[in-house]
Parts: sequence; C-alpha cells; structure tokens
Amino acid sequence: MGFLECIRLSFGNIRVNKLRSFLTMLGIIIGISSVITITTIGNSMKLTISNTMNDLGGANMIYGYLDASYPEDEKDWETWVYPELTEQDRISDEMIEQYKESFSDEVSHVIVSEPMESGKAVHGENYANVDMSGISAGYLDSAKIEILQGRNITEQDCQLKKHACVVSDLFVKYYFQGQEINPIGQEILIDTDSGTSFHGVIAGVYKYDAARFGGNFGSKTAEKDRSTTVFLPVSTAKQFNQSQQGYETIQIMASPGTDASDLSSRTIEYFNDLYSNNPNWNFQCQDMASELNVISQVLDVITIAIAVIAAISLLVGGIGVMNIMLVSIIERTKEIGIRKALGAKNSSIRTQFLTEAIVICLIGGTIGILIGIANGFLIAKAAVALGSQMAADYMDILTITVQPSMTAILVSVFFSMLIGILFGYYPANRAAKMSPIDALRYE
Amino acid sequence: MNTLIIEMKQIIKKYYIGQPNELQILNGIDLNVSEGEFISIVGESGSGKSTLMNLIGALDRPTSGRYLLEGQDISQMRDKQLSEVRNQRIGFVFQNFCLVPRTNALRNVEIPLMYAGMSRKARRERAEELLEMVGMKDRMKHKPNELSGGQNQRVAIARAMSNDPAIILADEPTGALDSKTGRLVMDLFHKLHKEKNKTIVLITHSPELARETQRIVTISDGSIFADSGILPHTEQEKGSGK
Repeated sequence: MGFLECIRLSFGNIRVNKLRSFLTMLGIIIGISSVITITTIGNSMKLTISNTMNDLGGANMIYGYLDASYPEDEKDWETWVYPELTEQDRISDEMIEQYKESFSDEVSHVIVSEPMESGKAVHGENYANVDMSGISAGYLDSAKIEILQGRNITEQDCQLKKHACVVSDLFVKYYFQGQEINPIGQEILIDTDSGTSFHGVIAGVYKYDAARFGGNFGSKTAEKDRSTTVFLPVSTAKQFNQSQQGYETIQIMASPGTDASDLSSRTIEYFNDLYSNNPNWNFQCQDMASELNVISQVLDVITIAIAVIAAISLLVGGIGVMNIMLVSIIERTKEIGIRKALGAKNSSIRTQFLTEAIVICLIGGTIGILIGIANGFLIAKAAVALGSQMAADYMDILTITVQPSMTAILVSVFFSMLIGILFGYYPANRAAKMSPIDALRYE
Repeated sequence: MNTLIIEMKQIIKKYYIGQPNELQILNGIDLNVSEGEFISIVGESGSGKSTLMNLIGALDRPTSGRYLLEGQDISQMRDKQLSEVRNQRIGFVFQNFCLVPRTNALRNVEIPLMYAGMSRKARRERAEELLEMVGMKDRMKHKPNELSGGQNQRVAIARAMSNDPAIILADEPTGALDSKTGRLVMDLFHKLHKEKNKTIVLITHSPELARETQRIVTISDGSIFADSGILPHTEQEKGSGK
C-alpha cells in the first residue's frame, strides 16, 4: 500500500470522525500556537528594536572616543591619576581627514560635535528656549533628522565658521508667533545662561521630534517651553566656546552594506597606531551593531526559554494524541480484523495508523502555527495601542515590525510530525500486532 | 482428476499450549479439496469448524500437521506471507458481512485490490465490474449502513472475488439473512461455482444448506466425523450449467 494511499485513508478517517479528530488536535493546536505566539513576539521585538535603530541611523554608527590608558599593573593604580586631555592629545581635523581617505569606501561621514550652553532666544514678546550644539556637516543626515525648509549645515559653513543655524519647527512656531514670515535668513539672538549672546542667521528648519529631542522633558512640559536644539557649525561653536581644537569623541557613519563591527575594530587599530606614542590616551570604539547583537542574544535566550516552557504543552498534546489513537484502534478493532483478513500486512496497518497520527498532528500543527501568527499580530496591535496611550511621543519613532520566526515555524512543523510519530507509534504497533481472528470476532 | 487445492494432513490445533488449561480443538484433520468443488463443512458449535475455517483461510497456523494450499505450505509461513496468501488466494464471506463501516461499496471492494498494490484506476474498474456481476453496480456509492443485509452480503461476495482467489471461504453466509435473501446469496454462490468454476468452502450448521453443495464434511469434536464425497446428484447438476 502506497504512502499516498495511507494519506488518503487518513484524511478519510479524520473526516468521518470530525469531532474526535478535532479534540485530538486541540492539544497540538494549543501547544504549537503558544510556541509560535511567543517566538513571533520575540522575533518581532528583536526586529522592531533593530529596525528602529536602523531608522535612527544607529546600526551604521560607530562611536569613537579617547580613553585614558589605565595602568596595567595593579600596584600602579595607587599612584595613578586621570590624565588631563591636552590639545595635542585630541583627535585633530587632519587625523579625521586622513582616516576618511583611508577608509573612503566604508565610511560615509565622520561626525564631530561641540556641546554648547543652553539659552533663550527672545523676539519681542515671543521667546524660544534652546540648547545650542555645534555639529559637522552630515550630522543631521546621519541622525535622520528631516530638514523642512532651507538647508543643512555644510562643509563650507564649518570651514568659514559661519553663524548659520538650523532651528526646529517648534522654534519657528513660537519665536515668530503671530507673524507671517519666512524664517530663512532671519537673524536671531540667543542669550546664553552664562550671560553671553550668540548672533545667528537661520539657514534651515528641521522637524522637531519629541521622542528624540524632548525625552527628558517628558510630555508634561508645555510645548511652548520646551527647549529645542539649535545646530550650528562645529568650528563656529569652538570659536564661541573658545575651546581647544580637536575632539575627544567622533561618530563614524559606515557606508550602507559595511560590516560596522568589523570596521569598528579596524578603526581602533588605525587610530591607536596614531596614538602609539601617547602615554596617556588611546582610542576606543563602540558600535551599535555589536550592542544590538547583545540585545538580540538576550531576547533570543528569553524567547527560547519561554518557548520551551510552552513546548511542554506540546508534550501533553502528544499524550492526548496517543490516548485518542488507543481508543480509536479499540473502536476500530473489527475494521483492523477485516483489513487483515483481506490481506493487509502488519506493516500496512501500522503505516495506516501512524500516518493518521502524523496527519492529525500536522493539521493541528498547521492550525496552531496560523493561530500563533495571528496571536502575534494581535498582541503587537495591543502593544501599539497601549504604547500610544502611555508614551505617545516614543511610538512615532518606533518602527514596529511583526514577523513570525521562520525557524520556529519549521521547527514546529517538524515537532508536530515527531509527536505524531512518537505518540502514534505505540497505538499503531498495537493495531498492527492484533491477531486477525480475535479482531474479526470483536464486536 | 482435478488438481488439489486444499491438502491437509494430520492438522492439530491447540490453544494455551503448556498451560494448565491447554485445549486441543482439532485432533488430526485430513482433508483434500479439489479445484472446482463446492464443499460444505458442517458441525455443531464447539465442534472446531470455526478453527478449521481459520486454518483454511490462512488466518492462523496449525500447531502441527501440514496444510498445502495450491501446493504451497501454509503451516510454516510468517505473518507477512500469510497476509499475501489471504490477499491473493482466499476470498472471505462472513456471516455478518464484515464490510468496513462508513466506507462505500466500491471502496470496500477495492480494499483487497489496494493491498495487492493495484493502481487506483485499475482497481476502480475491477471493483465496478465485480459489483456489476453481483448486481450492485447501481448502489456502489452506498455505505454499508445504507444497504440491506442481502445487498451487503452481495458486496462482500464481490469483494471476496476481487483478486480472483483459489477458494471462496464462506462462514455462515446466510446466517444473518432472512430466507428469501439467503436464497439469493446461495444462488450467487452456485452461479460463481458453475460459471467461474470457483472452489467454494461453505461453513454452516444448517443441514439444508449443506445439502445444496457437492460434498458434505461433518466435523465433530475436532475430527472429521463423516465425509460424503462428491454426491452423485450434484455431479450431474455441475455439468449441466445454467
């Protein structure tokens, strides 16, 4: 008797005993659907985190910084003092230029910034709170900050130390409140908290994103009073701050398709060659890709752990299958006897019942997978709905991705088959070994 | 002389061997049946005729003795070979029809063909042909519970004929039927016997039914009590045809 024949027979028997077949499947359905639900949620969380990071420009970002060279010997710690960072120690513009040339294929931008004071821009009765920040060209692009109007900070701005400013739409809204005016080209005066003033000209307007910029205010600070960032060329900022040349930290944006972790380690080597003669400082990197990897791994472990717990219900389901199959062969003893009298070999009977168990488990498994995927989507929807109420600002920047784990689906299909074989074998074998005479006489 | 289909020598069947309740059912049966015979085996219940039927039908092996079916030694065969013998050489007709429930007539007739490994198309054709022969073609899509006893038995006979067996082994085939439908079933056996020259072994406790056959073997207490040999009136009937 062929394999197809067995499958056809199984479907026939399942159709004839719909309710019983469904009850048998129930355990498998519940087991598989819980495993798939959990793995779908785990997988989706992972993807949501990494996609969000990617959208925010995180995955390609390598954060490079100067780190003090700590004593290697334990006894030297007592006398060691944290070194002072001099202008000679800092990462110079020349170093960055040379680095960019050496890694031109893999590095799209090297971004530097200069932190500045916060302050207030007053315009008649209107005012806007600001944080100033000196940045290099490419910063806003890399951070995926959207320019609504005007232009970005350019290389030229940096070279010429222009007082070009890129302000937020929120700034424009409150600074020019009640005025129909094109903000581009308007002069602004920012009074810093320490009493100095900065004259700037608005070159561009970017879209303020509460989640990204206003995180520490929460949603409770009135929009009007929120402090938004005013971006200006890093050289202008250094001049205004009267700070040292060179940088303590840099951000390297890897070109798309570049392995950021790999680039990161080669960047460390490159810069540490330059710092090999510096006794106090060395260069270190952190890349988001590696950090993301750690998060992924943690999520994987949690997902697998919960999925294993859920898989216990599969075991219970499997025992259910065995139970029903045992009842089923007793109920069908007569049929088994007839089939044997008509020439069914023991192996044909065994294959028939085993196939039936496997088919039941596979159908149950498939239904379970579908329910599990549906659950995953429902839970994601619920999470988004809940999130929008609790942290509306952050929901905008989350790139929600719901995707069931293919591995989990394949493993589930395999597992349902395995359960069918494991728990179907014993009943099938019992059916196969029945004596045809006794089975025929059974009423 | 016709070729021997069944050749039994000193067949002994015991149950519970080696246990205190050891039971000997058959005490050395010698039985030869030739091709084309219509033989009946009669006996009281408990006489051992069912056990003999199980042995003839290759459902069981004798404890000792030799049983040749068409010259093949059945007594030493393994389960798998016995299955093949039952499938290819024996056609069973049971008292209670023994059709697979919830399965239509056509599929029931196809079962032995399926185990014989015949293709779907070929076995459907064969099953339809057989059902036509027993006059059940118009009801071939009916399930056993939708058919009368006589109709079910006709389906069962069609099924018994499916692999063109050496023997039709009928165990009280009219036992569950009223006399009129029982008559129809018996007529069908006569038809198979005459037209297809089938060897038919009828197991019954009814002397009237037995008298319709060519030869009556009476079993009592596990031994052959009487063997009529080929009865003269039936010999004549056999030749005449219909």
